[in-house]
Amino acid sequence: MSKPRRVPSSGLTILAISWLLIIAVIGLLAPWLPLPFAPGVPDLLHVAEPPNWQAVPRHWLGTDPMGRDVLTEVVYSAQQVVILSLPAALLSALVGALAGGSAGFWGNRGWRLPLGAWLLGLALLWWLAALPGGTRMAGLLCAMALLAWWAAPRWPWVGRANWPLPLDSLFQAALTLLGAVPRLVLIITLAAGPPLSTAQLLLLLVAVAWPEPARQVRAHMLQVRELPFVEAAWAAGLPASRVWLRHALPHACRPLQTLVPLNLAGLIGLESTLAFLGVGRPPDVSSWGRLLGMLHQEPGAWWLLASAGSGLLLTLLALQRLARVATTA
Amino acid sequence: MRRWLLLQIGRAGLAAWAIASLVFILSRVLATGAEDVILGENSDLQARTLTVSPASQLLARQALRQRLGFTEPVFYVTRSSRDSASWHWHGTHNQYHHWLAGLLHGQLGWSYRDGQPIGPRLRAALGYTLPLTGLAAVITALGAVALGLVLASGPQAETPTGWRAGLQLLLTTLQGIPVFALALGLLFIFANPNALNLLPAYALGDNPANLEPGAYALQLIMPVLTLVLAILPEFTLPLATALHHELRTGYATTARAKGLSTSALLSKHALPNALLPLLTSFAGLLPTLLAGAVLVETVFALPGVGRLLAEAAAAHDYPVVVAGVLFTAIVRLLCLALADILYALADPRIRLAS
Repeated sequence: MSKPRRVPSSGLTILAISWLLIIAVIGLLAPWLPLPFAPGVPDLLHVAEPPNWQAVPRHWLGTDPMGRDVLTEVVYSAQQVVILSLPAALLSALVGALAGGSAGFWGNRGWRLPLGAWLLGLALLWWLAALPGGTRMAGLLCAMALLAWWAAPRWPWVGRANWPLPLDSLFQAALTLLGAVPRLVLIITLAAGPPLSTAQLLLLLVAVAWPEPARQVRAHMLQVRELPFVEAAWAAGLPASRVWLRHALPHACRPLQTLVPLNLAGLIGLESTLAFLGVGRPPDVSSWGRLLGMLHQEPGAWWLLASAGSGLLLTLLALQRLARVATTA
Repeated sequence: MRRWLLLQIGRAGLAAWAIASLVFILSRVLATGAEDVILGENSDLQARTLTVSPASQLLARQALRQRLGFTEPVFYVTRSSRDSASWHWHGTHNQYHHWLAGLLHGQLGWSYRDGQPIGPRLRAALGYTLPLTGLAAVITALGAVALGLVLASGPQAETPTGWRAGLQLLLTTLQGIPVFALALGLLFIFANPNALNLLPAYALGDNPANLEPGAYALQLIMPVLTLVLAILPEFTLPLATALHHELRTGYATTARAKGLSTSALLSKHALPNALLPLLTSFAGLLPTLLAGAVLVETVFALPGVGRLLAEAAAAHDYPVVVAGVLFTAIVRLLCLALADILYALADPRIRLAS
């Protein structure tokens, strides 16, 4: 595999990319599109009707068992993809890159914090947890931290007092904890409360989606760390944070260009699964998953399966295609 | 070896306990309105028959809080709500301690909704889930090996050609479809009065022991098929890649040079080596099956563990949710530990300590 493989039939790739662009544009412009029906408004005279292009209130794609226009619902589902799944995929990639990148770069011993920083962290914890003494104790610890910071260059024994932060162990513990339960079960459990707002669901999706990019970036970082150009950066006397951010991290993030489309596909699947189960979202939010779930009430509704199913499926397949192109490119 | 084994299982148990505790405490702290949910469900009935005075409503609420144990603090130490700067030590009289002590005695707790113990209910649900997931796992394993051999036995090109390319494309496509959409699609094709009406769409809700074997098997076809189709690509495609990789090694060339056919080379020499690294991922797939069971059991109305969990989550029945999470975590972690052990037994060159 020395030379890059040519991507077979690039016409499919162009098709996939244009489909994704269409979905993005529809999703962004959903409130301004000239749709004949508003979202979530039932047309009770036409319930669960197949598409009929001659009838007077024209439901282009039919109506669902609650009388809502399927075309409107499909368009507003694309909006969910743009405002929920896409930011979640990008944010989880960012969190994963930072967490995995730092755990891989510094390991358990690499990041040594001086006494002052430890005292400052302790003060912050003390204050946040409101332990006895509260603000006064936190202030005292802050003063000690300042003293340590002042004393470090002057008294050698204070300057030598620094301990490493076990970044890699903390990282692995977080991954083990989040990986203990399949991510669908975890998200069902955490979303079991009252319906969440979009921002809360976004945070929840990021919380379950960041381990995969983080694991890959960490694995890649372990290799990049040993490469000659990173060594050269160290030898040039650059500070550690600069070596990490400007030299090692951009290379360690290479697996992300495949992973972000796949992660996005996974998150769209997860979001529609949640909508299908009716967990976590208010029941009036449009989603391909909720439309497909209506098949349970109306097993013969082929127009629901055709419209929502093709919307979901084509998007996921296009993302898969994009990921493969990114791998071979 | 034994010490390493204990370490492995101990770590698995620790993670299961940590995640279940986390979910328990989160559910108790965040969900302050659990009794509202229960009273709300009852009050729909009451509202039609009699008007409830606010005083009696308050009394009912207090009685309910007493019954569910909400009057006790959640954890050993809690921060008092009045003056935010102080912590209180409560000793062993707290909800978490009772839950943990019950757990050690094999008592998973009681459902909020009907007050029934959870253990027997979980056991009854397992009667549906175990055959479903077990059958799916066995079929997936066999099918993946067969399909992997088929995919790898073609001409030695980087990408397969002809019908093998079609098979690979089909598998990649399947990998992208969410489980619930797959289940609904199958339901639409095979159990639709307007299309093929071959298979029963819904379980009758009977105990599988009382059912005729034929009817039971017929009911299981679609759920098992869904799970197998959902998980097969995740296992087949890496196996095919690994087999291709093995065919390019030196020992494969030697085997071919002494006149072995490709099929014999694949099944006798390449397969054991290609299968080994996939052992871990197969153990990881068993819990994925459990997550798939959540959806499959919901779509096909099988009263298994997955549906129990999904319904409990939708109805805010937290004790059942916590029990389900604990169960899932233990299964997953035991599977991973088992895979590590099998891996070490199958390939003694692997250092156990590392």
